[in-house]
Amino acid sequence: MKNKIRFSTIKGNSREYVLLVLSLGFVSFCGFVAAWLRYTHGHYITNMTNAVPWGFPKIVAIYMIGLSAGSLVLSSLSGVFGITEFKIFARSAALLAALLLIGALMSIILDWGRPDRILVPFVHINPRSMFSLDAMFYTAYILTCFVYLWAMFKEKTELVKRLGVLAIFIAILVHSGTGAIFGFVGARELYHSPLLPPLFIASALSSGSAMMVVVMYLTFRWSRRPLDDALLIRLGSYMAAFLLVAGFFIFVENVTRAYFPANYEVQRFLLTSGNKYSQIFWVGMVGIGVVLPLGILFNPATRQNVGWILFASALVLAGVLAERYIIVIPAQVFPIDLFPGMKVSSPFMDGVVAKYSISVVEAFYGLGIFTFVFFLYALALKFFELLPEGAEK
Amino acid sequence: MTDMDRRGLLKAGIAVLAGAALAPGVTLIRAFADGGEGTSSSPSASKIRWGMVIDANKCTEKCQECTNACRTENNVPFFGDERWDGHWIRKATLTPEIEGARSRSLPLLCNHCENPPCQHVCPVAATFTRHDGIVMIDKHRCIGCRYCMAACPYKARTYVFKQPDAWSNPDVPKRDKGVVEKCTFCAHRLDQGRLPACVEACNKSGEKAMIFGDLNDPKSEIYKYIRELSPKGIREDMGLKPKVYYSGI
Repeated sequence: MKNKIRFSTIKGNSREYVLLVLSLGFVSFCGFVAAWLRYTHGHYITNMTNAVPWGFPKIVAIYMIGLSAGSLVLSSLSGVFGITEFKIFARSAALLAALLLIGALMSIILDWGRPDRILVPFVHINPRSMFSLDAMFYTAYILTCFVYLWAMFKEKTELVKRLGVLAIFIAILVHSGTGAIFGFVGARELYHSPLLPPLFIASALSSGSAMMVVVMYLTFRWSRRPLDDALLIRLGSYMAAFLLVAGFFIFVENVTRAYFPANYEVQRFLLTSGNKYSQIFWVGMVGIGVVLPLGILFNPATRQNVGWILFASALVLAGVLAERYIIVIPAQVFPIDLFPGMKVSSPFMDGVVAKYSISVVEAFYGLGIFTFVFFLYALALKFFELLPEGAEK
Repeated sequence: MTDMDRRGLLKAGIAVLAGAALAPGVTLIRAFADGGEGTSSSPSASKIRWGMVIDANKCTEKCQECTNACRTENNVPFFGDERWDGHWIRKATLTPEIEGARSRSLPLLCNHCENPPCQHVCPVAATFTRHDGIVMIDKHRCIGCRYCMAACPYKARTYVFKQPDAWSNPDVPKRDKGVVEKCTFCAHRLDQGRLPACVEACNKSGEKAMIFGDLNDPKSEIYKYIRELSPKGIREDMGLKPKVYYSGI
């Protein structure tokens, strides 16, 4: 398709736009206040404990890392895979990919006990630590996204293609590496799994494409630019494929773990105990996150309907957030079996299921940083030529 | 941080640098000591492998001497809230899942693993192993990401959730909130030729449930004990090669 797409900025002086930017800014501000309070007071103002040292900020971080993948893939569809209809999304999606990863890094770093030591991971490297390697991958990913975006602005087709391929390669490292942060922890049965890196990629792609459906729909609608329904319907079908893969990995991982008698207790805790975690597992992650959206996306009556696809995307976004929760939290609250065959008790929560719920500070923190990404995105639309003047072929 | 703290820290820093220049990598907190005899580690004695045996038959449930001594010696934060209290050593009660079986009490602490997962996962290499096998944390490098806490199967690491106000022992640096800490086998005492505070307290209490010494020294009590009675590490199946052994479990 040879027809050239002209990109332009949005005017950004409507009341609705100003209101949107102001409210996104306000929520972000609340998030930064929460981060500041956490930093000055210490982690005791959150619900994290010595038994559950990783809480909601970690969940938000890996959720945003995942979402970033969808944006990058969508952006590369035209430049790398030659599906030119998607070129209208290429610039805004590449920007979102970078912004989401920046947000994820903010969520991780501001949750450190010492965020002021931000440069230490770049000075002291431990090649055996997934975190240390990921710091390199994340940085490379953000830089590549920005150079890729620059090449798109300059309409350097060949360079865009090469950088797109490079960005996809680094994205695979980023997402495998993020899954491996947990998968490489041998001490906890629910973390230790070689399937976490590929599961992470699959659910990154499903949640990422879900987010693109919602964000692109709203971006084009609110900026009053025409958008061909067929594009969203196609994104919906990609999302269905990613969901099938993610669902398969979840199934294999849990069946494999449950098969081994040493894991009966932990799998019972996660799957059949009826506690908060098994509810989030079945209702949130499996029901809302996989089964319902698959039903919508495979049903001939709904799969061609943009309204239904938007609904399915919202479900996937909620379901993958539940999945991130299930990846991070249950492995920590379930007690480590230090003395098999014995009951253990101590003043340090040995042998008991630890408690964790998302605290108000953590909720504001996570929501604020998440919103900050879209605050920057909304501002960028006004200052950079990210959106096409028309989205029809 | 008060001026006093800052000056103390600076002095300590200079001393540590000097120590490192004299005996690279051998001691971290040597700076606080002026050397000693007996257990003192020197470059020529870097084959030392400190280890501990705990005899669960001698340890009684009521006794808290080791945990109290550790808390005082190492300024371990205590807030009276189980969610945030630091524990470098803690007493646990084990009850076999058999009707009427006798329960046992024993202390749990950092096992100073030969293959320490906490050190493997640390993104900034703030956790390191000294030449004498003690796993330590550089608190000036730790970023407080808490990956090590997720990775340690012994739950030996605690995080400083809140600025601690008590500072009982000026020989051990006060920590700021936001970093992870754990047992050091009282490296600062070993470097002065003294036993770890918990072992000393256990001996004083008369229970004598803890034996500490050089695992590589055939003449040491701990070497002979391990050879005779083959005590076991906790969850040795994980391949971490812990250096704290238990007998009577």
